[in-house]
Parts: sequence; structure tokens; C-alpha cells
Amino acid sequence: MEEESDTRKINNSFLRDHNYATEADIISTVEFNSTGELLATGDKGGRVVVFQREQESKTQPHRRGEYNVYSTFQSHEPEFDYLKSLEIEEKINKIKWLPQQNAAYFLLSTNDKTVKLWKISERDKRPEGYNLKDEDGRIRDPSTITSLRVPVLQPMDLMVEATARRVFSNAHTYHINSISVNSDLQTFISTDDLRVNLWNLEITDRSFNIVDIKPANMEELTEVITSAEFHPQHCHTFAYSSSKGSMRLCDMRQAALCDRHSKYFEEPEDPSTRSFFSEIISSISDVKFSHNGRYLMTRDYLTVKVWDLQMENKPLETYQVHDYLRGKLCSLYENDCIFDKFECVWNGSDSVIMTGSYNNFFRMFDRNTKRDVTLEASRENSKPRAILKPRKVCVGGKRRKDEISVDSLDFSKKILHTTWHPHENIIAVAATNNLYIFQDKVN
Amino acid sequence: MLGRGVKRKRSCLEELEVEVLPDGARKPDRKQDGGEDREEEAAASLLQQRQVVLGLCLKKLQDDQAGVELSLRRSVLLANTLRQIQEEMWRDRTRGPDRLDPDSCLVRDGFREDVSVTCPGCAEDGCCDAVSPDAPSQDPNGPSDQQKPPPAPAGSTLSDSATGYLSDLALDDIFEDIDTSMYETSDLPWSCGGGALWPLGVSLWPEENLKPPSLSSGGGLQSCLMDLNDLDYIIEILVKS
Repeated sequence: MEEESDTRKINNSFLRDHNYATEADIISTVEFNSTGELLATGDKGGRVVVFQREQESKTQPHRRGEYNVYSTFQSHEPEFDYLKSLEIEEKINKIKWLPQQNAAYFLLSTNDKTVKLWKISERDKRPEGYNLKDEDGRIRDPSTITSLRVPVLQPMDLMVEATARRVFSNAHTYHINSISVNSDLQTFISTDDLRVNLWNLEITDRSFNIVDIKPANMEELTEVITSAEFHPQHCHTFAYSSSKGSMRLCDMRQAALCDRHSKYFEEPEDPSTRSFFSEIISSISDVKFSHNGRYLMTRDYLTVKVWDLQMENKPLETYQVHDYLRGKLCSLYENDCIFDKFECVWNGSDSVIMTGSYNNFFRMFDRNTKRDVTLEASRENSKPRAILKPRKVCVGGKRRKDEISVDSLDFSKKILHTTWHPHENIIAVAATNNLYIFQDKVN
Repeated sequence: MLGRGVKRKRSCLEELEVEVLPDGARKPDRKQDGGEDREEEAAASLLQQRQVVLGLCLKKLQDDQAGVELSLRRSVLLANTLRQIQEEMWRDRTRGPDRLDPDSCLVRDGFREDVSVTCPGCAEDGCCDAVSPDAPSQDPNGPSDQQKPPPAPAGSTLSDSATGYLSDLALDDIFEDIDTSMYETSDLPWSCGGGALWPLGVSLWPEENLKPPSLSSGGGLQSCLMDLNDLDYIIEILVKS
């Protein structure tokens, strides 16, 4: 009887701890590497989990290259800023992969203040037959050694180890919101609310500030930087977005400090839709260059816009993500959902764009056919290997059987982070603390 | 906004949202005779929404100061919203109670300019004129600060020019005629006279080591706003005693 009650006590405390652990498990970023072989996720607890795609096997064709856990490591730890008496969260804000140049994989991961370069490498051989120590590692007594031997590499179980190779710290007063690796593969930028810093991957004690929008008097601050990215081909060009709904393209060849933009993208406000929340919903939460480098995509609260780099005064295409929320902005302001930052992604051929929404819905827009679809990432509503059923939100009037009404949407289930395989139709979607990987159906 | 299947009351916010939907969503069959009443209702509800948003904005900014360092983006967006609302309230006041700013968020298509709307808490023209930015007899620093709408953080540059601005006015004249019946009977927790809000200062930049406003040391938002009716309190914040 005593043992049973002990077990119950253990179970109860386990349940309590489990709730805490769930908070740290919230996925905060997802990113495929440049070949699509690896998929990295970062979470609120500062951990990085890397998945690797299985080699496709002829014996099990239906397991068409599934992703399995390859490596898990603690990237960032919580820190305390003693000067400001504030905690620095260990949450991983962004992960960016470096293109593979040798057998090892490299990625950059960042929290609010510090960027780290991680090397992920495999070890499948181990040297055996040392002279001065035995197999357990104990030092041998030299007087007992009668002959010399050459250590030999013996196969061992595959071990994947992650080591921090560089730590880029102390360069950001404000919270880092994005990092981007340059196409020159030598430099990268890290961006916080007011500044963009340029780093060399080899040098950690120095960075160059290339954009600074901090006003002399902080009380005059009305705009912050929300995201920045390097052009995929032009190593001198990068873009950054602002909380006022504008985007700037900068050329690093023009000046050391890129405060003057070379292009300024902003769509004039439509006066008929102006409200108290106009500025908040125009704040750009993500900016992504297309793979071909000709377009830029921006995500604000209600829309995704595709911009032609040659046309600054208005976007090429505007897609409504969840316009039914326009009438709910006051409530979304009250519960802070209006400040949610959704990301957006291109597919490999730049023909389809994808972004997340609430109720674990995510949306895809085909730029050529102009068709769009709403899908749901949820275990209850889809079995593994089942084809996802398109979902529809009913905005008023009669609700059909499979539709969901706006008032029934769960705003705590938001899909903020998604990523698309660089070549194939495989997507990874983060729904709070669950990761969903979807692929094209096998014919 | 709760989980599925959970019952909840229709919030006053949702009621306001229904009333202030953009024109496209409005029912087109408004009759001419009832039109004026409905427009007045719509205007009043828009004003009500403005008060609600204003209150939410202030509450969020105060909560942000209280603890964890939240994002700068959020603080800036909240401050800009607050500034926008207060600019509108300025414009409404300077135009007088019977004219609305054409650029205002309140104005939608079909809203006639000559509809008489009373700015809450500002029943007297005297109050409006006293804080008009066009008043000529001001301190040189005065007009520039009047153009720049509150909130200015407590302990900021506003205090210097505010002293000059206040010295030219008979303070009793500003406040003696304010109709305070709104405060006693209002249903909304954050409703308040526009005049009482002008001295509101919110410090957004903790790292700049600005003195936090006295408001944040109080109890709830409502009690803070009620305290603003006290003249001494207002002067203390403006003049940075």
C-alpha cells in the first residue's frame, strides 16, 4: 500500500513538471538546410533538435524519406543581465544553416542577444590500442609496457556531436529578431529592433554596425526594424522591414553605414480601411527574398504581399490570409494576438507561398493559378499518411457542415513558423510544441 | 476567443466591433428618416470604441512597465496608437464639438459633417479653446509641444515648456466648468474626460532611467484615471515636482 501511494505521489509530481516542460518545448523556429536533408527546430527552452531525412529504401517505398531525430543539443542557456536586472531568455529566435562545405554541418542559432555557430559532425570510428592508457581510459603504469603498438581506428556506433565553434555576443542592446547568412559565405547579419550588425563568421570580437535607426532622443522613436535578410545572390544587397509597414533595400557598396536606402517599398494606406489598428496590422513580421532574387515577400497581420524589386510604390500581389479577422481587431488587440508575428515562406520554385494562421491553420497561395488552400495541422483532425482536407472558415450567414465559424477559432493555437524544403514539396509546420511534416502524396 | 465549445458572454468589445464594421459590411438598406439617428449612434459608438482602445492602450503600457522587459516593437506600436488617438481627440476638440476631423478614423462614408457630437467630458467650449494649439499668446516652446501630442514621458522635455504654457492660463478657468457626470455614471471602466488625459505621461524607455510616472504606483487603471481629476495631481506631473 505504501508503495502504491508513493507511486501516486510520483505520478502527480510528474504531471506538474510536465506542464512546465511543455512551455519550454514550444517551438520557436524551424528551418530546412540548403539541401533539405536536415531540418532544424529551436524551442523556447534553448534547445535545437535536428532531424535528418532517411535514405529512401527500395524495400520500404512508403517510408519515402522520413525525418528522424539526428541531433539534440542545448544551444543557449538563460542568462541574467545584472546591469538592467533583466533575464535574457534562452528561447531560440532564429536558426540559419550554412551551405555544406565538408562532412560537417554548420548552423547559426540565436536568442535575444547572442548568436552561436554550431558544428554538427558525425563520429563513427574510434581509435583503439593506445599505449599509455587502457580501454577504460585509465593510465597504464609505464613500467608494465613491454611493446609499442599503433592505435587503429575501429568502427563504433554512430555518434552525432554538436560543438559551439563561435559565439558572437555583446553586440546588441535590443532583442535580435533575425539573422541572415550572406551569399559570400563569409559574413552574416544579425538584426535587432534598432540596428543591423555585420559579422565575419571567423571573427567574434568585432562586428560592423551597418544600419542604425536609433534616434538621439528615444522618446522620438516611432519605428523599429522587424526583420532583415541578405539577397540570395547579390552579396552587397540586403533588405529590412519596419513596424510601419515599409521595407528598405540597402546596398553596402554605397556607404559604410547604410542609413540611406537604395529602394523604399511602401504601399500607400487605403483611407477607407483606416482604423486605430491600421499601423499595428501593417507592421511587417517577416521578409523573405524569393529564391531567384527577383521578388520580396512580406507578411503583415492580415496579408502576404509579393513585391517586385523594380517596383517600389505597390506590391505585385496581395494575398488575404484571414481577412475575416478584420472585424475582430479590437478583441485581438485586447488579447494581444494582434502583436503575433507570423512568418512566410517560398517554395523552391517561387511559385507557391505559405504562411500560418490561427486554429492551427496554415495557408498556401499558388501565384500562377491564383488558387489558395487552408490546411490544418492537428492530430485530431488528420491521421498519419492521410491526405489533408482543405478547411474553410465561415464568415457569416449559414455555416456549412465542415466549415468553422470565426467565433470558434482557437487563437491560442497559432502557426507562426513554417519552412519549405528547397527542392521538393515537403513542408514543416510548428504548431506550438508539435512539429508536423507534410509531403506530397505518393502516387 | 476561448477554446471550442466554451460558452462565453458576448463582450462589449464585440458589440462595438459589430457597430464599427467598415462600410462594406454595413447593411445597405438604411432608411432616410432613421438615417440621422443611426449615424449619431454610429458616431457615439465609434467614440466609445476610441475610449476603449485608449484605455486598453494605457493599461498595456502600464503593465509593460511593471515587470519583464517586453519587446520594443510592442511598446512602440502601443505608443503610436496612443498618440494617434490623442491626436484625434485634440483635433476633435479644436474643431469644436460640432465638427469632426475629416481625416479622423471616426469618419466613414456617409457620415455628415454637421452631425452634432459631444466630445465626452468636454461639454464646454471654454475647455477646448484653452488647450487649442492655435492660441497665439503662448510661450515660444509652447506651440511646438502642443503640436506634439501627449503622452510625453514624465520627466521629459515637456516639463520646461509646459511650465510656460500653464503660466499663461488661468487653471481654474479650464477645469471649473467640466461636466463630471460622465465619470460617476459611466459603464466603461476606462471612460474619462479628454481633458483629464492630457497630462498623462508614460515612460516607455526603462533603460533611459526616466522616472516612472506616479500613476503606476496606484491601484487599478480606473483609480488612476479618477485621480487625474485632482488638479494638484495634474500639475505635479506636468511640472515635474
